[in-house]
Amino acid sequence: MAAEYTIAAVAAPVAVVALELAVLRTGLLRTARYWLTVAISLAFMVPVDGWLTRPDATVVHYAEQQISGVRAPWHIPVEDYGFGLALITLTLLLWQRTRPAAEGEGRDA
Amino acid sequence: MDPLRYLLILAACVAVTLPLELALGARVYRQPRRLLATLLPVLAVFVIWDLIATARGHWWFSTRYTTGGTLAGLPWEEWLFFLVVPLCALLTFEVLGQGSRLRRRAERAGLLRRDRRAEPALVPEEQAAGPDGSPVRQVPPTAGRPTAGSRRGR
Repeated sequence: MAAEYTIAAVAAPVAVVALELAVLRTGLLRTARYWLTVAISLAFMVPVDGWLTRPDATVVHYAEQQISGVRAPWHIPVEDYGFGLALITLTLLLWQRTRPAAEGEGRDA
Repeated sequence: MDPLRYLLILAACVAVTLPLELALGARVYRQPRRLLATLLPVLAVFVIWDLIATARGHWWFSTRYTTGGTLAGLPWEEWLFFLVVPLCALLTFEVLGQGSRLRRRAERAGLLRRDRRAEPALVPEEQAAGPDGSPVRQVPPTAGRPTAGSRRGR
């Protein structure tokens, strides 16, 4: 009965944050640079996802019973923002995790 | 053009963000091993999510607007999506990091006065005083980076 994508879209960012707090511990989530990256990335996700979900030429279709039904703007399921947040955050965490030691010193890599 | 639609959307993302690497100083493509080490686990996690979601009917892909090529049952555009979107985010993140990197470089070159609030660890050592108020250690003012000597070795 539950909309499974809705649940997954909430659980995924929570799981990524838990991974950071319990395992990775990069400190990334406390930086303004991370939050600015998320804001910019999600802003650019709107036209991209809007294009993928536009009703007159839909590339990705969603099962109405698996989403909350909230779509904004246009026809983007609100769940996609949780999906995108988890995708972007996991990427940036692993990128920080593999940062060369030299860069932390501000030296030319 | 219809079958190329998903692919062209991804191509547009790559094209729009390319100047971040070419003109704005991001070094993402130029760290291919680090990039691979970041993208492969992300790709694995999200492809697994995608496979579960499509198997359970959460979403599906237009056969009209994809090329028709699939890998493990997913359109290969969808695989590319999990490379392209992270790539765009990394380029954004790296450009945003340029500000602080340029500032540090300018500080080292003596073009900017170092912001002491940004490096509070240095201040207590330089200002440390004995009970009588005399300096415990004489720290030359140029010893701004305390580990520089020890790290040089030899």
